[in-house]
Amino acid sequence: LLVRAGDSAKRRDWPGIAAAYRAADAWDVRNAVVWKVAEPPGIEALLQQVRRSEPDNTLPRLILAVRHIVMGWEVRTAARAQHVSPAQFDVLHQHLRIAEQLLIDLAAREPDNLHAWTARLTTARGLQLGQAEARRRYDQVAKHHPHCLSAQSALLQQLCPKWGGSVEAMLGFARERGFAAPEGALNAVLVADAHFERALDLKGEERLPYLRDPAVQQEVAQAATRSVLHPSYRPAYNWVEAHASFALYQSLVGNFRAAAVHFRAMGPHTTTGHWGYLFAEPKKVFQQHRAEALAKG
Amino acid sequence: MAILRTEVDGVPTLIAPTAGQMHAGLVFRVGRADETLARSGLTHLLEHLVLFPLGLTDYHYNGSTGAVTTSFHTAGSNEDVATFLTNVCNSLAALPLHRLEIEKSIVRTEWSSRTSSISEPLALWRYGARSYGLLGYPEPGIHALTADDVLRWCATWFTRENAVLWIAGDAVPAGLRLNLPSGQRYRVPAPTSALPVRPAFFREGHKAVAFETVVRRTPAVPIYAEVLERTLFRDLRQEAGVSYSANAISDPRGDGSSTMIAVVDALPDKLGAAVGGFVDSLAKLTVGRIERADIASYLAKAQDAVRHPDAEAGTLSSAAFELLTGQPVRGLEERMAEIAAVTVEDVHAVAVEAMRDALFLVPEGHSADWAGFTAAPTHSASAVSGIPFPRLGSGSGPAPDGVGLTLLVGAEGVTTMRGTAPATVRFDEVAAMLAWPDGGRQLIGYDGLAVPVEPTLNGVDPGTVARIDAAVTSGRTIWMPARDPGTLPRPAATPSPPSQHSAAPRSGKFSRWEIAGILLSAIPAMLIACLAGLLSLGATGDNGSPNDIGWATPIATWICMLVIALPAIVIVIRGRRRRRHT
Repeated sequence: LLVRAGDSAKRRDWPGIAAAYRAADAWDVRNAVVWKVAEPPGIEALLQQVRRSEPDNTLPRLILAVRHIVMGWEVRTAARAQHVSPAQFDVLHQHLRIAEQLLIDLAAREPDNLHAWTARLTTARGLQLGQAEARRRYDQVAKHHPHCLSAQSALLQQLCPKWGGSVEAMLGFARERGFAAPEGALNAVLVADAHFERALDLKGEERLPYLRDPAVQQEVAQAATRSVLHPSYRPAYNWVEAHASFALYQSLVGNFRAAAVHFRAMGPHTTTGHWGYLFAEPKKVFQQHRAEALAKG
Repeated sequence: MAILRTEVDGVPTLIAPTAGQMHAGLVFRVGRADETLARSGLTHLLEHLVLFPLGLTDYHYNGSTGAVTTSFHTAGSNEDVATFLTNVCNSLAALPLHRLEIEKSIVRTEWSSRTSSISEPLALWRYGARSYGLLGYPEPGIHALTADDVLRWCATWFTRENAVLWIAGDAVPAGLRLNLPSGQRYRVPAPTSALPVRPAFFREGHKAVAFETVVRRTPAVPIYAEVLERTLFRDLRQEAGVSYSANAISDPRGDGSSTMIAVVDALPDKLGAAVGGFVDSLAKLTVGRIERADIASYLAKAQDAVRHPDAEAGTLSSAAFELLTGQPVRGLEERMAEIAAVTVEDVHAVAVEAMRDALFLVPEGHSADWAGFTAAPTHSASAVSGIPFPRLGSGSGPAPDGVGLTLLVGAEGVTTMRGTAPATVRFDEVAAMLAWPDGGRQLIGYDGLAVPVEPTLNGVDPGTVARIDAAVTSGRTIWMPARDPGTLPRPAATPSPPSQHSAAPRSGKFSRWEIAGILLSAIPAMLIACLAGLLSLGATGDNGSPNDIGWATPIATWICMLVIALPAIVIVIRGRRRRRHT
């Protein structure tokens, strides 16, 4: 479906885009469609045009906002703040302000539009609106969807020390929301993600010892048991990323048997997710780790 | 039951019955927005002078100075009311000018003990240092006022044509005489603007978020204020839990438009969410998501008020305002019919209009550019060309705070550089210049920007100060009382940055006397502390022999040290408090 949506966007086929959005049954998938169709460069012209011809349709407005977030973040790149030039920040902020104002209007018209509120977690972070405002936005999502993993992942980023949060707030949120979701849901992967973020915040030589801490190992294993390894687990949107997070964690701490379980579950799928943050060549590292885990585990 | 209109000695008079004792007000169409910054406080001072001869009475009376009206009101027996109003007019005709200096100091004391209102910075940033913006200043012109100023002001504005009397009672009380000179009715002042782009925002304070706007005056405006207040309360207090209070009020400006101000509070760590939630509440109303129940609630409250036996009398003072400002005076029934006819669409239209001219106050460290508000100007477009006076004691490098690095004095005006941003006051746009006998000056431009000229900071010579004095239009200078030399800004210490829109200079860190005091107290204290330390060591080494010095001596020495150090401690604590309050 995502591929179909992406193709429609590349062909500038609005009915195709709208159909793909409607065809998705789960909210997460619809959200993924929105972000997928916002990728092709130049798509904003089509979105503007549809906005004018269908003024009551909020979908083009939403996708246009997301398109501006994508354009802003392309300029910023994934680098940490100190590597981004002031000019790049200016362009990022310009795009985010346009996106934010479209989303303010959208959220005012449709207060239960979770796409808008989730996207506003990203704009809040980029525009540095602070912890309290991010939390307020997350609460708007949680009011309608208490276990929305996309919004939880976005808030987890905001709670990182690098975005003005704290280790305690980040880990606390991951544990609380991760284990509050029903058994078999993916949300507990937040715990592994939070430990990665904590490790990234440490000096290079302190990272592995932190991840290998028995208490951390136990908590991550518990999170996997609760989510992707639970009997009631059924693959949901983003399941590959969840397994990849656990697989990466177990590989890094040298727990190849546990890593192999996750790599096997992923089958032929690959993802760079968190691997992208940690390594210069995430794909290569992924393949190496997978080969090693499958051989030893 | 309706308001009865008559005349008393040529003064238009409005009468409505009351169940209680008689009360009445004599209102003049003059207020603080009619003044200039250099003579600000005239109306307020005059109001004080008028009431002085009335002395202490058994009945209650008061005076109040608003933006465009000044009123003298009282409550009591018919005879008391007649006596009070007659005496107010007699006092206007024979002002107790011997009280001028004393009343000036009372007005200043009144200012120093009052708490400021959030409407003040909003007025200043919207209108600058003129017209309605003067309500943002603590009447600095009071220092400059002379008996002539007061007499001229009185003769111009306090006339029978420029007054309206309202009486809550059966009829005009017997014996009432309004002995006022003849003059003319004045229109309200035209609003000035310090906001080139709107909607705009500025940063101020650490406790609240406020929204102010000016819209066409319609019956839907107060209903919009009520709807906004209730929306903010629900969204920010009940749902998000970031605010304790949410308030919104609208007031007619007297020129066919209304000012609406809404305020929410929040704790420091929740201010970001208060700004965000406020933006969303406004957006909700702008897109037309307006709760019918909120409109109904306003109507119900209004209908409740109408049933009060004194309802009509309660509207007298606003009816007097309408009459004075040339607006139609409506009876209660007519007003109620107007309110009842307001639709959701009407309120929505006000919400849309409200955003166009909006001014948003966000706390320091926050912004509203992301929500479509443009930053209100905090500096000028250009600097004047003129003689540079670099900051003393800072060499050629930037000052530690990056503020007031260089002062430029040119033929057209003065500029202070704040980093790379110039703050300029042109001589032909000086609203007021505060002048101290020590040579210190502060020029305040029409736009509200202030440029300090401090000889102690920039080494400005007396000749340059004299040139500035000569260039400023006469009548714009406010001669201030001498400053305590200890409060003059000093280059050695780090002076606090002058506030963007300040009307008073900031004090330095410590005065020469304070530093001397600290040294005189701290050095002996340190010496005695060394001695006490040695004695204490001796005491710990005691082993019970009769030659041991015991603990009494070291303890006494420590106490002695504390007593001697006390002046230094007091001076340091006082200095810190002072800096926090400036």
